[in-house]
Amino acid sequence: MDEVFPVQVKIMKVDFSGLESSAPLYGGNDNLLSDGFADAPSFDLPVTSDFDGFQKASVQMVKPAKGTTTLAFIFKDGVMVAADSRASMGGYISSQSVKKIIEINPYMLGTMAGGAADCQFWHRNLGIKCRLHELANKRRISVTGASKLLANILYSYRGMGLSVGTMIAGWDEKGPGLYYVDSEGGRLKGTKFSVGSGSPYAYGVLDSGYNYDMSIDEAAELARRAIYHATFRDGASGGVASVYHVGPTGWTKLSGDDVGELHYSYYPVEQAVVEQEMTEAVTA
Amino acid sequence: MPKEHANWSPYDNNGGTCVAIAGADYCVIAADTRMSTGYSILTRDYSKICKLADKSFMASSGFQADVKALQKVLSSRHLIYQHQHNKQMSCPAMAQLLSNTLYYKRFFPYYAFNVLGGLDSEGKGCVFTYDAVGSYERVGYSAQGSGATLITPFLDNQLKSPSPLLLPAKDAVTPLSEAEAVDLVKTCFSSATERDIYTISKGMFGENSTGGKQKAQAAVAGDSVEIIILNANGVRRESEPLRRD
Amino acid sequence: MELPLISYVVFQNGVILGADTRATEGPIVADKNCEKIHYMAPNIYCCGAGTAADTEAVTDNISSQLKLHRYHTGRESRVVTALTLLKSHLFRYQGHVSAALVLGGVDVTGPHLHTIYPHGSTDTLPYATMGSGSLAAMAIFESEYREGLTREEGINLVTKAICSGIFNDLGSGSNVDVCVIEKGKKEYLRNHLTPNPRTYISSRGYTFSKKAEVLLTKITPLKELVDVIEVGGDAMEE
Repeated sequence: MDEVFPVQVKIMKVDFSGLESSAPLYGGNDNLLSDGFADAPSFDLPVTSDFDGFQKASVQMVKPAKGTTTLAFIFKDGVMVAADSRASMGGYISSQSVKKIIEINPYMLGTMAGGAADCQFWHRNLGIKCRLHELANKRRISVTGASKLLANILYSYRGMGLSVGTMIAGWDEKGPGLYYVDSEGGRLKGTKFSVGSGSPYAYGVLDSGYNYDMSIDEAAELARRAIYHATFRDGASGGVASVYHVGPTGWTKLSGDDVGELHYSYYPVEQAVVEQEMTEAVTA
Repeated sequence: MPKEHANWSPYDNNGGTCVAIAGADYCVIAADTRMSTGYSILTRDYSKICKLADKSFMASSGFQADVKALQKVLSSRHLIYQHQHNKQMSCPAMAQLLSNTLYYKRFFPYYAFNVLGGLDSEGKGCVFTYDAVGSYERVGYSAQGSGATLITPFLDNQLKSPSPLLLPAKDAVTPLSEAEAVDLVKTCFSSATERDIYTISKGMFGENSTGGKQKAQAAVAGDSVEIIILNANGVRRESEPLRRD
Repeated sequence: MELPLISYVVFQNGVILGADTRATEGPIVADKNCEKIHYMAPNIYCCGAGTAADTEAVTDNISSQLKLHRYHTGRESRVVTALTLLKSHLFRYQGHVSAALVLGGVDVTGPHLHTIYPHGSTDTLPYATMGSGSLAAMAIFESEYREGLTREEGINLVTKAICSGIFNDLGSGSNVDVCVIEKGKKEYLRNHLTPNPRTYISSRGYTFSKKAEVLLTKITPLKELVDVIEVGGDAMEE
């Protein structure tokens, strides 16, 4: 599991402020007065005598720092996959409606953590490769095969700054399948994963509530609660908790709930006895 | 002498703000018309909106040299598409093309923050919003560029609709009429202009030098926010002057 | 907070100071109508560009030193006195006090205009500009300044120079403040010109539709928890 966190930790530390669309303009040395005074707002520009270094720096700038909570686990009736929907750039929430569970084909799902564009693009690319495999071999690709396609691509870009932490979940001829794949080249087979800055919180709920023989409803509720608790403690996760189930007939979306409303359904506000009316309080 | 070029960057930020709102049967795409660098204005009349196909328009802020290069790539790709398919590209197709085009330069990105607006094949308004390397999302409204952080919360308050991820799904169409949406866009820009120094269309200042209070001349065409409105009847263009300081 | 633009000009028998009213924090306008022409003495005013806190603190500080000095001497402050106090203060701090000032006033020796840079160097000039809009404003001065301007001509020239900064420099904006100091009288023309009104106000107006929902109301009156002991009115006197 050590492989999981370096990706996410790195992502959280990325300073994206230089390329945010609201970033101040360039203008380091055009001060009209004396040294260091009345500087136009500026950000440090990459050293370009070393072009490789510049490329790395520019890649670092563009990489969206994205807090996330995603999880997936195998149980008796298939795979349960869930995620939040928040995207952030530094402290700014850039979207509350990101589709972090990517529908690769009707039998396979991918989750998204790390760079939004990296995940989106390479999952789209994986979808194409899976379809081509189907056309060439007249049968669907296995989850093992699909995850290895992705892992090999990501490994070929290793060290170039891609940021992907994904789970490939699906149902194939051998039954349910679940793999964790990341941009450092890691690929792990497993039955229970959580990826993203909120994953420690999700694991806490998941590990305490997990049981292989759960029903679909119980598993969905566990996944939902795990996401909810992660969004409650992790500021970079939030939005809508989406829950998908992958069974022998493919995936279905089971639920999508605003975590704010989930909070009030899990912890309803109890109507406390009004000890004293406002008017009386004033006169007292 | 490697230090000599230490401060050089291939990028510049030319400022600017873009906004797009999708409605049930219309789409509004707007951008200010000023291009700046540092504390100086390069021009007061530069359109940030580009027509990519009959029913898709792209508004882009960021580095206008990259934006221009991006627009050229997209329009040439669209020309090839027209030759191959004998039709205009749909807005959702253009959206994915834009995503792939941006990702193609993943390791030396276009410094461009785009909003793509248009009508989909059913005639419904659609807005797609992007990051610099091609992550994209279909949304009901979006603001990008230097004024985005000022405008987005305002639009959230006025337009926020239920998330499309909710299940059971809730109707997520912007409840505004076309005229109301255009009105809202104008309000957005005149507000952003008050506080963001990079979303200000600078106008020519005409004064009489002989004395008395000087008066700003009537806005010259372009010192303004440019607004494109798409609906079933076609495309309409409006402009609204902004403050020029 | 940065304060970008100011300019000054000496005319026939006085000094005219001008400034825009924009203060910025990076790309954001922090104050649309701030005052950049600071009071130093009844016959001396000072415009500040640079960090708002520094310009304000340094002018306030020197202003009170000048007042004490006036009590000591019983004479009107001289512009050179203010100049020396300001520059020695700024020099002591080796440029860390980010104040770029233009000091203007009329004293027994006549009208004076000086610029003071953050490191403590100074200039004595017939017209001067400071801040991010200084080039735009100086362009106007260089092309139109001449000796022997009348009061009206001077005000117009300063206003035009400030407007040039407001409209051509992104760091400057909003309104024009002018201060005219002559022998024995001064006139502070706050918002002399307001060339940037709000451009568009929706005729429909708009509403904040989503109201906060009251989930819980609970009031715990203090009186029930605390015993308030009534003490006689003279309790404090004991």
